[in-house]
Amino acid sequence: MNAKDEIRQFVQKLLTESGDDQPLADDESLLLSGRLQSIDAVEIVTLLEEKFGIDFAEIGFDRERLDSVDAISTLAGHGQSNRA
Amino acid sequence: MKPASPSSWTDSLWSWCKSHRDFRLIPRIETYPGVVAFAQTALGKLVLLGTFGSGLWFLISHDLLRWSVMMGTFTLTTFLPRHRRLILSLGVCLLLFKQNLRHSDSLRGGIVLTTLALNLSVIAVGMMLFWCARRWPRSIFGRRPIIFWLSGVTMFIVCVAVMKPTGRAGFFRWSEVGILVSYMWFIAYALADRNAKPVADFTLEFAALDPIWGSTGTPFPKGASYLRRIEAKDSVQLAITQLKGLKLLVWAILLWLVQTEWNRFFHGYLGIPGSGEAMAMWVRGTPPALHLRWASQVLFFYEIILDLSVSGHGIIACCRLAGFNALRNTYRPLSSVTLIEFFNRLYYYFKELLADFFYYPAFFRYWKNHPRLRIVFATFAAVLFGKSLYHLIRDWSIFRDMGLVKGLLSYQVLFFYSAILAAALSVSQLRRRRIKPSGFLRGQLVPSCGVALFYILSGVFLHEDRTYSLAQTFKYFLSLFYIHW
Repeated sequence: MNAKDEIRQFVQKLLTESGDDQPLADDESLLLSGRLQSIDAVEIVTLLEEKFGIDFAEIGFDRERLDSVDAISTLAGHGQSNRA
Repeated sequence: MKPASPSSWTDSLWSWCKSHRDFRLIPRIETYPGVVAFAQTALGKLVLLGTFGSGLWFLISHDLLRWSVMMGTFTLTTFLPRHRRLILSLGVCLLLFKQNLRHSDSLRGGIVLTTLALNLSVIAVGMMLFWCARRWPRSIFGRRPIIFWLSGVTMFIVCVAVMKPTGRAGFFRWSEVGILVSYMWFIAYALADRNAKPVADFTLEFAALDPIWGSTGTPFPKGASYLRRIEAKDSVQLAITQLKGLKLLVWAILLWLVQTEWNRFFHGYLGIPGSGEAMAMWVRGTPPALHLRWASQVLFFYEIILDLSVSGHGIIACCRLAGFNALRNTYRPLSSVTLIEFFNRLYYYFKELLADFFYYPAFFRYWKNHPRLRIVFATFAAVLFGKSLYHLIRDWSIFRDMGLVKGLLSYQVLFFYSAILAAALSVSQLRRRRIKPSGFLRGQLVPSCGVALFYILSGVFLHEDRTYSLAQTFKYFLSLFYIHW
């Protein structure tokens, strides 16, 4: 399973837990549209820190960078390339 | 044939409710292609603005001047969407006169022109700080502009409270405090947006400092950067956003009517005292009967929801009419099954303020290797420290009237409430990963009632009246359980 699949699965799980069973497109807004909440953003942040080595205290936190599966995958990609 | 067990019939009822959850009291007109197409025509825009204007007239208490400026601005932004940001900025300037009248009332009279000058100078300071933070991002101020700003305002209030200026000087110092505080979180959001993508002009930054659609001390909906992201980009998006705004306004009016009848029935016809009144009667030694004290607490819980819904829906409806597809401030709070969910659904933009300025900074910086402690620490930073600071600064007039030390002591009940709320929200977040029970009874009804019960009981400590001590409030709380101490 590649990084994007893992992220999509994780986001889908968060949506299901909050009772959202609508289909999810990779470019669909998650936080600005209100489908996910601040506490879900914290879960995504924790995943990115633990699995992809991203330090938000260093790069700054911007919700737009976590607003879709595509955006999160891009961020995860940067984290992986920095670690490599 | 075996009789149905209680859980099977409640689950059947739940399934029925789920299958009918798409039912809407107000139809989803923004999903009807014909309506959306009509809302894009000149006639459609006029009909929409006319309908919205009629509803707004009721909601803003027949304030002709404010209504005229708002509807004039919204008409221009509807027909000239390309100049939306500039029009909104001009509308803000016009409304400043109106707001000055409000400020001068709260300062026991005063000169409108002086307060107007103070308003403009605070806006100018805000814009200058924003520019400095963008211009010198690596300077001490540029790296931590929000900490500088929040501590600067706090220090200013402390200095004025300690110096206790009197007479004309006192009037001007406290006027400055009042106006500075009213812009505090708007400027904080502007500073938080300093790293946003480069913008061609600062008109939206200016408009967001005193939004024409109204606000409380909490910016609705956040700052200019957020507004740019939710701004309608074409005529279809504008029509959909405006139709959603109209729907929300209708919903606000319906809830306002419910609120009026609610007060008339419960407090007028049934004679149940308001929560604050019941507490005051108890302190005076003439307590209302136990069932009335309970009833007043339960009503208080629903009245907060109604109050926030009516005011928040009205503001967001106007924001949507201006072309910004903002999320609602209050969204189905009674369907919450956890405390954190209720906190998020009740007063969304206040929760966002606490998250943006206190929760996230604490979460990203401290206790990274202790996941549970990290959440608890960030929650206390937001709810105990952030919420307390917000209220301390918002209610600055207490320091003017009582002095610094007595003023601080008068917040003891609020500090206690913030502490128990922070503890409860921490537990709620930590329990979030648990497997949730299914079914209507255990999955929805029982958790929802538990959430309501927590907020009903903790509501005793939520009184705005700062004259009661923590001991008095705690004794009143125990009296609800027939414990007299």
